[in-house]
Amino acid sequence: MAKTYDYLFKLLLIGDSGVGKTCVLFRFSEDAFNTTFISTIGIDFKIRTIDLDGKKIKLQIWDTAGQERFRTITTAYYRGAMGIMLVYDITNEKSFENIKNWIRNIEENASSDVEKMLLGNKCELEEKRQVSKERGEQLAVEYGIKFIETSAKASIRVEEAFFTLARDIKAKMEKKLVSHVYNDCF
Amino acid sequence: MEESAEESMDLCCQDGVLLTSAPAAYMNYINTVGTLFIVEYLNSNRTRCIEWKPNDVTIDSEMQDQEWAMVNTVERRTRTFSETCSRSKYLKVNMIEVKSFRVSRNKQKLAFMDGKGESLCNFLFQHSNCDLLLATLKGILRTAPSRRDKHLHIILDDLQNPETQQLNKSFAELNLFQDPSDYVWGFVRNFHNKPYETAMEAFAKITDIVYRGPEHRIMDDEVHDILNRSLEAIENSTTTHTHDEYEVIAHVPKLPDRKDYPRGRPLSADQWKGLKDPEGRVEDVESVKLMIFRGGISPEIRKEVWKYLLDYYIWDNTNTQRQNLIKQRHDEYNVMKLQWRSMTHIQEDNFSDYRERKSLIEKDVKRTDRTIDYFEGDQNPNVLVLYDILMTYVMYNFDLGYVQGMSDLLSPILYLLDNEVDAFWCFVGFMNKVSSNFDMDQAGMKEQLQHLNMLLAFVEPELANYLKKHESGNMFFCFRWLLVWFKREFNMEDIMRLWEVLWTGLPCQNFHLLICIAILETEKEILMENNYGFCEILKHINDLSGNIDVATILSKAEGMYHQIIEADHLTDSVRLIIGLPILGNTVMIDSKEASPDISELASSSQGADGEEVCYERAISNSFL
Ligand SMILES: Nc1nc2c(ncn2[C@@H]2O[C@H](COP(=O)(O)OP(=O)(O)O)[C@@H](O)[C@H]2O)c(=O)[nH]1
Ligand SMILES: [Mg+2]
Repeated sequence: MAKTYDYLFKLLLIGDSGVGKTCVLFRFSEDAFNTTFISTIGIDFKIRTIDLDGKKIKLQIWDTAGQERFRTITTAYYRGAMGIMLVYDITNEKSFENIKNWIRNIEENASSDVEKMLLGNKCELEEKRQVSKERGEQLAVEYGIKFIETSAKASIRVEEAFFTLARDIKAKMEKKLVSHVYNDCF
Repeated sequence: MEESAEESMDLCCQDGVLLTSAPAAYMNYINTVGTLFIVEYLNSNRTRCIEWKPNDVTIDSEMQDQEWAMVNTVERRTRTFSETCSRSKYLKVNMIEVKSFRVSRNKQKLAFMDGKGESLCNFLFQHSNCDLLLATLKGILRTAPSRRDKHLHIILDDLQNPETQQLNKSFAELNLFQDPSDYVWGFVRNFHNKPYETAMEAFAKITDIVYRGPEHRIMDDEVHDILNRSLEAIENSTTTHTHDEYEVIAHVPKLPDRKDYPRGRPLSADQWKGLKDPEGRVEDVESVKLMIFRGGISPEIRKEVWKYLLDYYIWDNTNTQRQNLIKQRHDEYNVMKLQWRSMTHIQEDNFSDYRERKSLIEKDVKRTDRTIDYFEGDQNPNVLVLYDILMTYVMYNFDLGYVQGMSDLLSPILYLLDNEVDAFWCFVGFMNKVSSNFDMDQAGMKEQLQHLNMLLAFVEPELANYLKKHESGNMFFCFRWLLVWFKREFNMEDIMRLWEVLWTGLPCQNFHLLICIAILETEKEILMENNYGFCEILKHINDLSGNIDVATILSKAEGMYHQIIEADHLTDSVRLIIGLPILGNTVMIDSKEASPDISELASSSQGADGEEVCYERAISNSFL
């Protein structure tokens, strides 16, 4: 059977419970928002194939349950992830503070060259904001990763976030392939 | 009328037989008790019929439970005209139409089928079994058990009815043996003991003639069927493993055949009333539980019975004692509720563990069953009750606090009871049964996943093996099922039924794991035939939600339970899981030995194994 894509990227959404991971994923995969969503138990994934510079890229995006104690189960799924979206809620200070714990968690369980990106979600709730955009940017710089504020509800920059992450993974991968070819020739 | 005027005799007659299925004309009699006959008409054809007549007197329902039925074998007594004239309203099936019959449920169920395998009429023997009837049938018919279903008996011939001798004829045409039908059936029987030898010895002969015979033969369908079934049997009794270059054919120890355990009727309001003494004590708790296990609870008494099953009410309390208990529990609840309600902002600011639990609950009640009427819409007061109960539970058991999944366990309880205090205490009872699901270190969940894997390896070794080879031996794809007891897989009505059955604790410890296995077995073919890998297995299992039939799965799981306990090779590790006493002759559970996948993942913080490999593999993987 012919492949319907050129690359398959496995991505992961992590962050505290309630920051909107499932909604962000739903916005990206179905372009919809649903206020009656149920909380995630265990693990699930969604698929969307995108076009990137003439290549078909199949994104397999894994959604996890956020609560601390389920991590022993969810980290089993970190293996093989090529990109990770770290999500916090701009109206929830605690979820932002926890990002550094999540990064530690990734360092322990995922491959070290995994591409990471920081998302500050629910950005349309300006009146409830607890975490300024500057602090988000600052943290991203600290970890050397990209940062975008999104809203799953108002459909703000969700698409852009996933495309950016996918493009970075693709670039890294192609660079790697080229260096392989180079090494093989000489 | 002509026929009924004929003289006839009863070859056999049995009382206390419930008609459970019949042609449309007899619809009114379904679930009526009556008498079953085998009658022979003394006409030239010697027509034989299965006949059933409803009892004239309606029997008090309480009487039915007693062993009062009598069985009489009426020795070929000749009927007179006057006795038979009223027979036109009987259910009557000519034996010529009957091509097979099926005996099940401890020989209490008997079903007659036509040539297409469709049901003609079914009976339930309420007070005894159908032995007598079977003996009579075997006296007048030649039958053979079906290979595929040992409860099914195929009628080979009725010597006095030339029309029914087709099969004999087709065998005779093969011209192989003196009594061909006997040979074939003997052959099929032998299969059971020595499948391989029997087949090899005989197949060359038979297939040669049937398939490549000199003349073109039209084979009777049934002969065809027998041969096909025999071939299937060979395939089923052996499993092929590919090991390096060799093909190893291993014999897998088989479980006894699965019996049919149809679901019973729900515990009814009348039954429940009858089970209480005048002072309101429920005396025979074991019987109550057994009835609930077999059929669940009728909706009109569910509200009350759940309080017992969830250890809020106490079975042997009198009405007065219960009233006191209720009052006491109300007071206790209000005290605990006041504790968090009266917390000041400063207290809260200085109490991060409390804040964390509170914020999780706030987020989760907004995401719990919001599509059902009871919790639907903005500002729904029931969502607030859900919140209050969970917050009060935090004060009741602060160490456990709130863990995601708990709101799912509470929601059906509140939905049914529609009362805050009652729902709280019932939720406490439920949590006491499943609190290990929410351990901080998830030890309880890991243990269950491991036990599930071990049970699966015993009941469905082929599937267990398949999962292991497809990175799914850790059974993580069943995590959601176990964490919230299948709450996400069924609608409200079905989850209530499933939970009340599971709460009885019958028929064994960890019966919920057999529910998992029953569902997995149902999906086995799809998983394996599509060669699903790790991701597809998870997806397929997650997508089953809303498509599982609760009654079917319960019957199946019950059948599996009996297969397990009757298995000759039942191991101590399996005995431990289902709570049977161990015999001490097999290895004890050793988590590392038993399931390497799980112990490996349990300590999964050692970093990714060869990131390069993972990376490359992910790129080249072509799943989905
Ligand atoms: N206002 C707003 N609410 C959101 C947004 N994304 C998610 N939510 C809400 O946040 C809550 C948690 O979302 P969910 O996706 O389930 O969070 P998860 O636990 O991280 O998967 C839900 O009640 C959503 O309706 C957003 O962009 N804006
Ligand atoms: Mg989620």
